[in-house]
Amino acid sequence: MSIAVELPALGESVVEGTIARWLVKEGDRVEVDQPLVEVTTDKVDAEIPAPVAGVVEALLVAEGETVPIGADLLRIAPGSERTAAAPSAPAPAATPPAPAPSASTRSGPSATPLARRVAEASGVDLEEVAASGARIRREDVERHAAARAETPSAPAAARAPEAGAPAFLSYSLQPGDKVVPMSPLRRLVAEHMVLSKRVSPHVGTVAEIDLAGVVRVREAHKRAFQEAHGFALSFLPFVVHAAVRALREYPRLNASVVEDAIIEKKDLHVGIAVETEKGLVVPVVRHADRLSLAGLAEAVEDLAARARSKKLSPDELKGGTFTISNPGRHGNLYGFAIINQPQVGILRMGEVVKRAVVRTVAGEDAIVIRPIMYLALSYDHRAVDGAPANGFLHRVRELLEEAEFDL
Amino acid sequence: MASALEIRDLGRVGYAEALALQQDRVAARRRGACPDTLLLLEHPPVVTLGRSARAQNLLLPRAVLAARGVEVHEVTRGGDVTYHAPGQLVGYPIVDLDARGARDVHAWLRTLEQCVGEALAALDVPWRRIPGWTGVFVGDSPGREGAPEGRPRKIASIGVGVRGWVTFHGFALNVDVDLDGFDAIVPCGLDAVEMTSVARELAAAAPDDLGARARAAVRDAFLAHLG
Repeated sequence: MSIAVELPALGESVVEGTIARWLVKEGDRVEVDQPLVEVTTDKVDAEIPAPVAGVVEALLVAEGETVPIGADLLRIAPGSERTAAAPSAPAPAATPPAPAPSASTRSGPSATPLARRVAEASGVDLEEVAASGARIRREDVERHAAARAETPSAPAAARAPEAGAPAFLSYSLQPGDKVVPMSPLRRLVAEHMVLSKRVSPHVGTVAEIDLAGVVRVREAHKRAFQEAHGFALSFLPFVVHAAVRALREYPRLNASVVEDAIIEKKDLHVGIAVETEKGLVVPVVRHADRLSLAGLAEAVEDLAARARSKKLSPDELKGGTFTISNPGRHGNLYGFAIINQPQVGILRMGEVVKRAVVRTVAGEDAIVIRPIMYLALSYDHRAVDGAPANGFLHRVRELLEEAEFDL
Repeated sequence: MASALEIRDLGRVGYAEALALQQDRVAARRRGACPDTLLLLEHPPVVTLGRSARAQNLLLPRAVLAARGVEVHEVTRGGDVTYHAPGQLVGYPIVDLDARGARDVHAWLRTLEQCVGEALAALDVPWRRIPGWTGVFVGDSPGREGAPEGRPRKIASIGVGVRGWVTFHGFALNVDVDLDGFDAIVPCGLDAVEMTSVARELAAAAPDDLGARARAAVRDAFLAHLG
């Protein structure tokens, strides 16, 4: 039984680390406290020591990769005996040696997890790779890839252009261009956006919402709220409050698609998209349906402030079941946000603008001036059809226009 | 009661020799065989590349640097590329963060900034942090329109290593270093930032014994926080 070595907590404000250099390789014997790997975060370089003596079974993360605190970095088979994964291990009986645990769940040849990832990244078919030991290791894959690249054979040469990015995606640098390398967070966001658009067919619907009632409630409590809580009451908590009430009536919007099932979730944790100087983060208000309007306002204010000062713990970014994005005063008319996987819906607030609208006043149609916001819902058509999606958004609108909020 | 921080003033020490000294001291500190220690020194001209260093931030080929008498070292500290030379006060605090109940590597970076900043304040140089950019700066926020002197200038670089919660590497404060040497690199990979020194910031107001005063100010600041 091997044990996983995690990236340990390096401090309250540290959420991830980058693997700078492996100090051991698969198959190495390590002693307790022997340095295993160098990890960097900001301007800090830290060594992670071995918690037990044993044999390094598998490196799970490649150099240069950035992983969150708590991620498994490598597996060590404790003890002085070499384990079944190591080449010299005797088979327990006359039967062939059992494959290593991590390999048993996969098809194809026996290979280390790192070798699989390198093979996938470099487009190498593991079936074609010769193992130097009991399992295919990273070195074997790299040797194979290098040999393949050098082979001038016709089929390999013909295949080569397909392996790289299509020609129209390439760009040659021009004088004066500024190259901005992606930060780890930017890369994560980019990967997530592509993944979401690929797995989830997005559909959009928009509601025009009259916020006169909400403005009335907000104006009435503005001063007292500011004095009691130390910050201004914004429109966002009203929208969160209305959304969680409507989600209770439309559980299909508070769901995930898992393989061929749709899971409607009991708990309601609302992610709030926050722009920070380092990029987009989505801290989560847990059990948002149990909070009063003032409680929601407090939670949103606290999370946004700590997101900007980078004081969020990783747990506070996890577990959202629905997301609300508020681009604020410069949010324009409306826009469709990308769904935060594995959720199935996201609301995106537009700017609040006074508009001329038609209302019935004393039995007559009249043009009146009202504060109007467009609220856009993006939903995942795998799980949600038009009727519940439109019903949900319509209900959010009703709740905001009725404006029955207690502070 | 004896101070919890021993300060050693070592004068000019070659980079490799100083690194060996640090490693010995880290090992001793981890065994509990010595107190927390601050090594103060200066290096002959040397460029060091941290763990996150990118090749494009070393602007001159190594052969050109060697011809100028500048060594290049790849080192086990966080951060990108930096330059050391005489006139720069280098501090290597060997501190057991665990023993101080301060197991937070980013908080340690902030402590180093604070100590160096307080030393600068004592020398009448107003200092500031720039969120997201570890180090100690003077001048205005980056990207802001205005006079050239309003732009942020970096006066001290910071990069550390941690081994079993014992710190090494540390900070490099430009006291009266020849700033032309920084032309060889993009300091810390930040190309929007120019380097400055205490002497340049104080200009005519710089005292004759600036080096000694800077060492004293740094000692006082570290003793106030870690003594």
